[in-house]
Amino acid sequence: MPTLAEKYELLGCIQCGRCTAGCPVALRTFLNVRKLVYEGVTGPGPKDAKERPEAWNCTTCSTCTERCPKGVKPMELLIGLRGAAIEKGRVGPTIRDALESTFKHGNPWGRIRDKRMEWAEELDVPVAADGEAVPLLYYVGCTPAYDPRCQDIARSLVRVFSAAGVPFSTFGTAESCCGNEIRRMGEEGLFELLVEGNRELLDSHEIGTIVTSSPHCMNTFKNEYGDLGCEVVHYSQYFDRLLDEGKLSFGGSVEKKVTYHDPCFLGKHNDVFDPPRRVLECVPGVTFVEFDRSRERALCCEGGGGRMWVEAEEERGERLADTRVKDAVALGVDLLVTACPFCLMTLDDAVKTSGSEGKIEIIDLAQLVAEAL
Amino acid sequence: MNEILVLTEHLNGEFRDITFEMLTKARSLADAGGGKVAAVLFGSGVGDLAEKLTLLADEVLVSDHGSFANYNSAVYQPVLAEVVKSRGSSLVMIGHTAFGVDLAPSLAVALEVPLATDVIDVKHDGGAFTAMRQIYGGKINEEVGFGGAAQVMVTVRAAAFPPEEASREGSVVELGVDVPEEPALRRFVEYVEAAIGDVDITKSEVVIAVGRGIREEENMAMIEELAELLGGVVACSRPIVDAGWLPKDRQVGSSGKTVKPKLYVAVGVSGQFQHVSGMKSAETIVAINKDPKAPIFSAAHYGIVGDLFKVLPVLKEKIGELRA
Amino acid sequence: MNIVVCVKRVPETAEADLKIASDRKAIDEEGLAFQINESDNYALEQALLIKEDLGGEVTVLTAGPEASEEVLRMSMAKGADTAVRLADDAFADGDAVATAQALAASIKEMEYDLVLTGCMASDDGATAVGVALAELLGVPHATYVVEMEIADGKAVVGRELEGGLVEKLDMKLPAVVTIQTGINEPRYASIMGIARASKREITLKSASDLGLAAAVVGAEGSRTQILGLDYPPVGEGAEILEGTPAEASGKLAQVLKEKGFA
Repeated sequence: MPTLAEKYELLGCIQCGRCTAGCPVALRTFLNVRKLVYEGVTGPGPKDAKERPEAWNCTTCSTCTERCPKGVKPMELLIGLRGAAIEKGRVGPTIRDALESTFKHGNPWGRIRDKRMEWAEELDVPVAADGEAVPLLYYVGCTPAYDPRCQDIARSLVRVFSAAGVPFSTFGTAESCCGNEIRRMGEEGLFELLVEGNRELLDSHEIGTIVTSSPHCMNTFKNEYGDLGCEVVHYSQYFDRLLDEGKLSFGGSVEKKVTYHDPCFLGKHNDVFDPPRRVLECVPGVTFVEFDRSRERALCCEGGGGRMWVEAEEERGERLADTRVKDAVALGVDLLVTACPFCLMTLDDAVKTSGSEGKIEIIDLAQLVAEAL
Repeated sequence: MNEILVLTEHLNGEFRDITFEMLTKARSLADAGGGKVAAVLFGSGVGDLAEKLTLLADEVLVSDHGSFANYNSAVYQPVLAEVVKSRGSSLVMIGHTAFGVDLAPSLAVALEVPLATDVIDVKHDGGAFTAMRQIYGGKINEEVGFGGAAQVMVTVRAAAFPPEEASREGSVVELGVDVPEEPALRRFVEYVEAAIGDVDITKSEVVIAVGRGIREEENMAMIEELAELLGGVVACSRPIVDAGWLPKDRQVGSSGKTVKPKLYVAVGVSGQFQHVSGMKSAETIVAINKDPKAPIFSAAHYGIVGDLFKVLPVLKEKIGELRA
Repeated sequence: MNIVVCVKRVPETAEADLKIASDRKAIDEEGLAFQINESDNYALEQALLIKEDLGGEVTVLTAGPEASEEVLRMSMAKGADTAVRLADDAFADGDAVATAQALAASIKEMEYDLVLTGCMASDDGATAVGVALAELLGVPHATYVVEMEIADGKAVVGRELEGGLVEKLDMKLPAVVTIQTGINEPRYASIMGIARASKREITLKSASDLGLAAAVVGAEGSRTQILGLDYPPVGEGAEILEGTPAEASGKLAQVLKEKGFA
């Protein structure tokens, strides 16, 4: 049995503390990733996340891993601790339910597969036929498919594709969870099962480009699924391209002051910072104000890493999403624009909990673009 | 048919409603089929209860014995089995209650008679009984036959048959059957009342109930807001209590509380029978559910078929507008 | 403590639109997701908790088609030691008592102290197999159990009655206990755990293995028959307020106002 140090290559750690110093949740939870690495280096370390429940507070934003000067990956250790708890079945009911739902229904939201295209009810959304070649595949994602707030992201995307005259297809109700959050939660077996099923589906079509609503889907397809034989982009990158190629133009305008929140999985994980900004600059009427904590320093909203299904462990202080919303309000903007369904949901919830109702609105970039068409 | 035998159910000196409901149906079936109704009463010191039954049945069969002081199916079963066997009753009716469910299947095995449980209707046609019950949480009705058996047994769903008064002149018969001592194999220990929390939902005029449709604990806030807006309390169906989001004393239903408020709003509640039984007497019942076929719509007076996450925010707005 | 847990594989139907098959004897299962019956899952968890506390073995038992083996594998992944499937066409389409006959014959071959099963199956809602099983095994039973303590060859259980009242009973083991949901918090079975469990043997038992005549089990052995399925009558209930969420809410708000609630 490899030790934690062996499994996660922890021995390079010099205990400099840059990881914990950059960890967004270290401010408000008991998560001390430097200490966990220390335990793994100096001894057998903790057995699983049940022993160290703060491991569930990690949002897998990867700041720790980016900042480590020695190439140690503390985030992988945390995911490993989660995985060990999962293998013993010792996880809270909300996590259990999300995982079981993904296995049964192909989405973590407890909804049946048959209703996965409900968001498209009033639209004419093409579904790829068996084996059909798909030049542009729109991978909707579980959250835009089922969550009422995020369904508008999917509808907006469809409207933009139509306006740009770009033919596209979806997989309809055959689409299943990409598994990004499943992997971050540590359920490696379920992740591999999803990859197997998704690859079979993807490989059975000749695909040109996969465009995703969510940076999470983009992240795993691009980096963890192996060679799919096609390009994988987030819609912000695709819109950027459409604008560049002159295929998208705006008929209206949005006379609003806006700021942009970099989703961790788009920015920190995949270095996509400029395309969303370029798209924003193209929307007529928009005045753009940058956050102080922007780009690589963007403040994680705490929606990723399985956090949507984690009941918070011993929190103290303000939720990061609340801070983010308050910071946006302080910037004097009307709209806080983001490009990720989880960011949208957590920031939108934070508008209420931070007492900012009426002062700011959260909107997805796709919705903003669709509005200005 | 010769007779319909109804096992009456009582607790703390009072008959439970199921007793009157079953007897009403029994009378209706017996009258149409040329048979009689025999009510069975087991208990300890139940003389006055026996009297009440004489209006409702043709015969009241009583066994008054200390062993029946507290319900124990291990004591009821051998005695009832003997009664049913010796009388050859065509139909035996037992309530589909915690009490009845604990007894009927083992009794049916011992007597080797067919059993249909949780029935919502019983018919007698051409000399044979059939029963109607529900499956898949009330989404489908299932008609059950008994293969022409001479004796059949059913457990009856609460409130399936509206109770009616009657003025029979039933005779009370002391059953001379041997009643066993409570066996060591299975002994009653005590009843434990549910702890009473800070809110007594049975006392509120407005109850907003939430079910599985709410999906996550975080979303409960929406329900609380609606309750506050309408001046009511928050209640729930069983899954919410199982998940630990609300304490047991907020549960409405057969294993929870029965409420009779002026207004009952069921949000994301499917309306399975176990829940509906606890609120169907509310004056005005409103249901909000995505599924047009959800059983709750049969129990409600008004319904909105829609996504509660879309409806609730707008509803709150509209109520606010009307108030202004 | 040797515990037998009887489990059933059922379709998840809460959100699904159900269609009755053309023969009117069953529903169309196409597109439905299957899982372990909810209260059986709680029963399994209870058995595993008792095993962790008192030692012993947990055997998980089902009467069903080959597809039900996925429930047995999941149970083994969670910690069940042995799995048995009653595999025989003769067992098919049995009513509650006929199913209990098959289960009883299998359990009689085992050394057991306790049989646990869910109080009710979410598909047929019979609420009868556990109690019928107890009678066939000749052991005491208790239903709707929400609390349980095992000590000195006895089980002290709390049964949930109407109104939240709990009835405490004391039973000598062996006994059959049917478990109500909410008694515990079931654990998770990981995919890798289930994959490992797939390599373990599931004992198959046919009717003749158990010395059962076909006439006693399955459809042939059932004293009740399904005559036909139908959709419950709709529309006798609520006045549906039509329109978009905004329109419908507006109508509802009006109704509430008229009744003095808004």
